[in-house]
This record gives sequence, C-alpha cells and structure tokens, in this order.
Amino acid sequence: MIHFISKRLKHSLVLLFMASVVCFTLVVSAPGNVAVLIAELRGAVATPGYVEQVEEEIGLNKPLLMRYVDWLGDAVRGDFGISYRTGQDVSADLANRMLVTGILIAGSAVIATLISLALGFLGAFWPYKLPDRVSRGLALLGASTPTFFVGALMIYAFSVTFQLLPSFGFDGPKSWILPWLTIAVLPAAVLSRVVRVGLEEAMTSPFVLTAKSKGLGRTAILFREALPNITPIFINALGTQVGLMTATAIIVEPLFAWQGVGDYFLAGVRFRDFMVVQACLLIFLTFFIVVNLIVDLAVLLTDPRIRRQWS
Amino acid sequence: MHDQPLLDVSNLTVNLLTAKSAVRPVDGVSYSVRQGECLAIVGESGSGKTVMNFAPLGLMPTGVTTMLSGSVKLEGRELIGLPEAEIQKLRGKSVGFIFQDPMSALNPVRRIGRQIAEMAELHLNMTSKAAEARALELVKLVGISDPAARLRQYPHELSGGLRQRIVIAIALAGEPKLLIADEPTTALDVTVQAQILRLLKDVQRRLNMAMVLITHDMGVVAGAADNIVVMYAARAAECGPVDKVLVSPRHPYTRGLINAIPRREDPIGLEFRGLPGIPPTLGAPIKGCALAPRCELAVPACGNSRPPLVRSDDSAVLVACPVVNQGKAAA
Repeated sequence: MIHFISKRLKHSLVLLFMASVVCFTLVVSAPGNVAVLIAELRGAVATPGYVEQVEEEIGLNKPLLMRYVDWLGDAVRGDFGISYRTGQDVSADLANRMLVTGILIAGSAVIATLISLALGFLGAFWPYKLPDRVSRGLALLGASTPTFFVGALMIYAFSVTFQLLPSFGFDGPKSWILPWLTIAVLPAAVLSRVVRVGLEEAMTSPFVLTAKSKGLGRTAILFREALPNITPIFINALGTQVGLMTATAIIVEPLFAWQGVGDYFLAGVRFRDFMVVQACLLIFLTFFIVVNLIVDLAVLLTDPRIRRQWS
Repeated sequence: MHDQPLLDVSNLTVNLLTAKSAVRPVDGVSYSVRQGECLAIVGESGSGKTVMNFAPLGLMPTGVTTMLSGSVKLEGRELIGLPEAEIQKLRGKSVGFIFQDPMSALNPVRRIGRQIAEMAELHLNMTSKAAEARALELVKLVGISDPAARLRQYPHELSGGLRQRIVIAIALAGEPKLLIADEPTTALDVTVQAQILRLLKDVQRRLNMAMVLITHDMGVVAGAADNIVVMYAARAAECGPVDKVLVSPRHPYTRGLINAIPRREDPIGLEFRGLPGIPPTLGAPIKGCALAPRCELAVPACGNSRPPLVRSDDSAVLVACPVVNQGKAAA
C-alpha cells in the first residue's frame, strides 16, 4: 500500500513537471502580444518603441528558457506572479476562486453520482422495460446537449419561469443549485450508462447464479452482489468526469457570473495574460493528476484483487 | 413420510423460448430421490441434465422464457406453477446448489465469510454475529484448515479446490434437505476431484440429505451415487441402481458411454472408443429413438416412434430401447 502510494506520487511529480512544460510552451507559442495590449490599456499609442519598453518591463525580452525557469521556480513556491492586466498578485486572486470552483466541482460530482446511480439502477432493475428506456433516453439527451444550452435552459426554467432560484451571482446557498445541476448533467448522463451497463454485465456473471441459488431476491443481488463489482469501474469513470468538469466550469462560471478559476482563466485568455493562463492551466492539470491519484487509491480500496498485487 | 420420495419428478418437459429460437432440452423425464439417497444424472453436454434440475427451481438465465410441464414435487409440494416468490424461498433453504466452476461461482469482491454468513442470516434468521459463528462451523465442516483466516479472505486468494469447498459450505448453510450438485468436480484438478467428491458424499450421508449429482464422469457415478439416470438428447435412456446399470448396461447408449472409458490395459496410442456421430440438435422434434442414427443395434423400426422406458428383466432397471425391449410391455 505504502509502496503503491509512493510509486504513484513519484509518477505524479514527473507528470506535473511535463505538464508545466506543455503549459508554458503552449501559452508562449500562442499568437498575439500582451505588450501591445498593455500599452493600449495604459492609453498609450502602441508604437514599436513603447511596446519594446513594456516587454522589457515585464521581462518578455528574456530568453524563453530563463522565463520558464523563473516562472517554475516561483510557481512551486505558490507564487504565480503578477497579472499583466490587473497588476494584482495572481496567487491571491486564485485562492478564493479555487475554493469557489472546488465547491462547484465537488457538489456537481456528488449530484452526478447520485443521479447516475439512480438512473443506472432504474435501468438495471427493469432491463429493456419502460424505466430502462426512459433512463437511456435521458442519458442520450443529457450527453448530447451542450452545457451552455443546459445552463440557459436551467435559468429559463428555474429562474425566469418559476422564479425559484437565482440565476447569477452569489446570493446564499440557493445560488449553488443551478450551476451544480448544469455541470452535473453531462457526467450524470455518461455515468448512468456506466452503471447500467456495468450492472447488466455483473448480473450475467456466474456468481449471480450462485446468489440466486442462495435465495436472494433481485434487489438484494443488485445491491449486495452486483454493486460492489461495479464500484471500481464507476470510480474510474467518475474520476475522468470530475477531471473534465474543469472544462465545463470554464463555460458555466461566466454563464452564472461566478468568480471562479474558469472565469479567471477565460478573462486571462482574452487578454493574453500569460501569468493568469499559465497559473490556471497548471492548477487544472494538478487537479487532474490529484483526482487520478485519488481514483487509483479508491480503486485499490474497493477491489481486493488489485489490492493484492500491491500488498 | 419416509417412503415418499423427497424429490419426485414425473414426465417433466422443459421448453426454452428465446427471441429467436425454441428448444426442448428436457422431454418427458421422470425420476425421484429419497432422503439420504444420491441420484446421478449422466449425459453428454447439451443432453439437458442441468436444465432439468435448474429450470423447475427458477435458475435460468434472464431473457429466456422457460415453459415447464409435467410434475416436480419437493416434499410433496408441486413446484410447477408455483410463483417465483415462493420458489425463491425454497432456494438455499430447502435446496442447496453446487456449481461446476468454483472459480467464477463466488463473488470476487466480497469476503468469503460474508458470502457464507448471509445464508444463515437469510434462512435461519440468525443475527450477523451468530451467522459468522455458523460460517466458521461450516468452513470447518467442509475440511478447510485455518478456518478463521479463510473467512476474512477473498475468493481469488484461494485455490480451486478450496473455493469449491466454500461453495459447498454456502450450499449447506441453509440446512437444505436436497443438494443439487452440477458437475461439482469437472473444473477441478484430478487430484482434488476425489477429495471434493469424498467430502460431498460424506456431508450428504452425515446430514442425511438427498443429493442429485449431475455429471458426465462415470468414475464419479460409481463412487458416489445410489441410482443413475442416463440422459440422451433430452430424454432418459436408462435408469436404475448404479451397481446394476454400470455393471450390466442394457441401453446401447449406456454401453457406448461405459465402453468409451479408457482402460488400464489399453495399449498406448490406441484411439478413443467414442460413440460415432454427434448428438441431434434439440431445435427440431425427434420422431423415433434419438440415438438411432448413431446406434449399432438400430433397425428401421427405431425411427417410427419414441421408445418408452420399459422395465427390463431386472425390475429395478428401466430401459428405453425398442431393440433391447423387444417383446416386453411398457412400464
């Protein structure tokens, strides 16, 4: 177990390093010049001379490798530099936004898990009957509707028509519900199929015949015998979906006028604000890697066969 | 009560309907088992021996419509026509099942102890603590060393033989009166087969249960069973006490089966004495004797009508062969 964790941690560090290189390279090679934008922001005319002056000011004239080393050195200490656009400390800006996005993703993950389990079980309990078809239809609908459209529908239904929930900004716990639901729709749809198909496969396994021969009923077999068997698969799929939620957050946060990492990232991209974009990308990637690590550990805990290989 | 058979099957026919096909894997078979007795059901793969025992107890794969006719009485109670909820109560409680492949018959992600104990909770109304104690007892009963440690283990940590012992422990946990063992030794090592068979025979005798042993291994039959039913193509070809049927087989199919067993004095390199031909498919109805195309005794009359089981010169043995039975009245 310890061996496994230390090995995976080492892998994760290597992965993080490679991710930082990719982050930096991608951002640096993106078209557009932030110095021009800064010059314009200051109300000056972006003459080549003035742009050069700005570039020197923010260190854009240094060699790429040095810029990378400087940036990485600061980043590992938690210092993501100063935003070109606002002149504020990126790390300070991010601290609160990370909390917001974190709660957003965590809540959506819980909702997606509950919905997908409910839909999946519904389908597995009455395979190929009406509940299964409804569950399948909902999954198809949820998986094929774009998130921005889902968000707009949610606002239209719950805020405009029924006036139950606030549509933007942060105004008490009720404000979380719509963004949570909006982000949860796609992963819930995908995961419900994982549950449904996993349960069906488990229900045709020979050990289910044994369970039936023991006199267990269908419900008991589904929950006691089949569910533990799909847990590792489910956790794996959930991990992927939670990782992808960062991408959804970029769309959903501006939609609900939320100040999260996704919203910050988008603003950074618009302004070629390297410092902000790099910081957000690195946070997203770290999140992805950490989620994967947690998933691997959780699978280890839920599947005794894999556990054995590492003990 | 004691002279009445525990399990009494008469004229059982099973039709299986799937979306695409209809087959009749069991066609008018009768047999019975008394308490403390062991009945072997022998036949090649696809002869209907498993379906015959599983279908009346509702153990069929989903997606298959099972149609039963005839009569299956367990302790005098008719099973055919009984609602699934009632049959579910009998499974595990009155009838214990042992399966062919212990490698896949246990749930891979649940502890062995739970898999046994839940039977005692379900059927003997035990608390989970009492059920754990009962599981420990059962694991000892089936001859597993270091029983307490085994209960905490998972199936993949045990060998095939140990797993089959666990499957047997599960089957015994509800204190059933009838044990149905579906090729319990087929998937095991030859060296382990004998141990498992001895164990099965031993618990069956000790707990005075009735046992139906489904197998295609004549060695298993000779070692464990009191009576035998030889199945061919969904029908019973011959039945009677094991010592009589194995020693002097009357039906050409039984003879062929026994003759096919390799003998010690066979020279190395001798070809197997298998039956020529292949068994018929069960999709189409068979008019005469199902064995006729493969039979050395076959005469044209064999194809006319289905041969009935007829009492042979030994009144305990019934044979369904028109040639062997010539001149005898139907039983």
